[in-house]
Amino acid sequence: MLLEIEKLTKVYRSSWRAREAGTRANDGISLAIGEGEVFGLLGHNGAGKTTLVNQVVGLLKPTFGSIRIDGKDMVADPGLARRLCSFQAQAQVPIDGLTPQQAIDLIGQLRGAPRAEVERRRERLVDALELGEWQDVDAARLSGGVKRLVAFAMAAVTPGRVVMLDEPTNDVDPVRRRLLWRQVRTLADHGAAVLLVTHNVIEAERSVDRLAILDEGRVIAEGTPAELKAGLGAALRLELVLDPDVDEPPASPFGLSAVPVGNRLMVGIPTDGAGQAVAWAESLKAAGLVEEFTLGPATLEDVYVALVGDTGGRPAHVEEEFDASAA
Amino acid sequence: MQALRNYQLLVTWQALRKKNYLPLMMAVQTLFSLGIVLGYPLLFPTLDRTSVYLIATGAPAISMVSVGLVALPQTVGEQKTEGSLAYMRSLPVARLSYLVADLTVWLMIVIPGVILGVFVGAWRFGLDLQVSPLFVPAVLMVALTATCVGYAIASLLPYMLTVIITQAIVVFVFMFSPLTFLPDKLPGWLEAIHRILPIQAMGEVTRGTLAPNEFGLPMGAFVTLAIWCALGFGATYAAMTRRG
Repeated sequence: MLLEIEKLTKVYRSSWRAREAGTRANDGISLAIGEGEVFGLLGHNGAGKTTLVNQVVGLLKPTFGSIRIDGKDMVADPGLARRLCSFQAQAQVPIDGLTPQQAIDLIGQLRGAPRAEVERRRERLVDALELGEWQDVDAARLSGGVKRLVAFAMAAVTPGRVVMLDEPTNDVDPVRRRLLWRQVRTLADHGAAVLLVTHNVIEAERSVDRLAILDEGRVIAEGTPAELKAGLGAALRLELVLDPDVDEPPASPFGLSAVPVGNRLMVGIPTDGAGQAVAWAESLKAAGLVEEFTLGPATLEDVYVALVGDTGGRPAHVEEEFDASAA
Repeated sequence: MQALRNYQLLVTWQALRKKNYLPLMMAVQTLFSLGIVLGYPLLFPTLDRTSVYLIATGAPAISMVSVGLVALPQTVGEQKTEGSLAYMRSLPVARLSYLVADLTVWLMIVIPGVILGVFVGAWRFGLDLQVSPLFVPAVLMVALTATCVGYAIASLLPYMLTVIITQAIVVFVFMFSPLTFLPDKLPGWLEAIHRILPIQAMGEVTRGTLAPNEFGLPMGAFVTLAIWCALGFGATYAAMTRRG
């Protein structure tokens, strides 16, 4: 594997006194990502995703654990880590004053590629992301979404062996998101290991080869999207939109996950339970408990919601129901 | 070779990043120089010969100090808050190249105001300044020390504290620092403090090389500046290379 992370732990001390317990942003994380692979890291805000990538690129020092790229120790040599990794940070890239063309060219050269090659690659990226009309405009006048695409191009123009993208599609319009995902795949096709940090589960399902779900600093599930969905034990998902006056969501008769998400209830349904599920939902609707319902195939979002709940932190009642080992 | 190339690329990056407000910043700090040279005679219509020389040579020093210890820490503090420093730190570029490149751009901002201030001062008071050849290295030393100390303030302190402290520095430099007057005008305790701080040394080096016939050039001032420059640079470099 190209990028190997083992037992990575990061504790932020709340005080100078080392004895006091701090916040465990990462708690024994182990991951391995191969060349040509797009690996998703999913989790709520505060799950520890950004802390993890900041350690890989050498901005933070792990409290414990190891990070290796191509077998080389990145914790001991953060300078090498920055050469081997290109990085799109979660924060908006600070390029006001520069045009996208200038920003991409300068970063491409700072990452060590010759000017002519950088210009060639920049032209390709600008075309592929349809940024042409903005490439000579001062970034101070660009929208957040366009700046985000420029930041991606800055990370991709002279890519490292590992490319880390922290929420690359934030603020980007749906059409250009597709263009961006295509470029992410192109990076992997050219041999990079792409670590993609996101809380957008639906997009991740379509774009990643494998993924890990992070919660409270720990990996709580890992596998391909198909493996994780198989672990849910429910091939179908019934989504109930509850009547606003309903205090207590109805109990599922299926014995699978039933997770409230706002005013909706996501109920896991076995493959042969479609008919029974529709009948049950109709009866709830007739009783005025449910306004409407939808039955569809289970998605990665269902796995995610079953594991970490609506707002983060594992709901105990569904943890037992999820059997990742069945994947 | 790669380090030199990176330095050039980073100077370009930093200069372009500042280009929207760079002319304004240069204009404001030039006004510092001009304001002192043209404004002091309005406050004090009768000035003796020494005071005239002190004002004309103190103005460029104030200009350098105000950029280095006020404008720079505020700008760098803001860059720290917006994540600009963290982004630059994630690039495969030596911290030293980045720091030296940014200091170069700040020196480019400082120098025009200094030169203009000297000319306007000499013209306004009709002075015949016998500028020493040491003036160029002296100005570089003063500007570098001011920018290094300013960088250290921004690197070590949270942004809001940087803003508050730099505002206090403005008052301290203009009213209570021996740049446009001699240190013996100050109360003993403040004089003692100024023997340790770099501001007095900045004034001594500037006037001692601009008007060597009027003022001595205490070599101790160079030593003080060198120490503060090294401290500022060292603290900044340590803050930049530290992994949280």
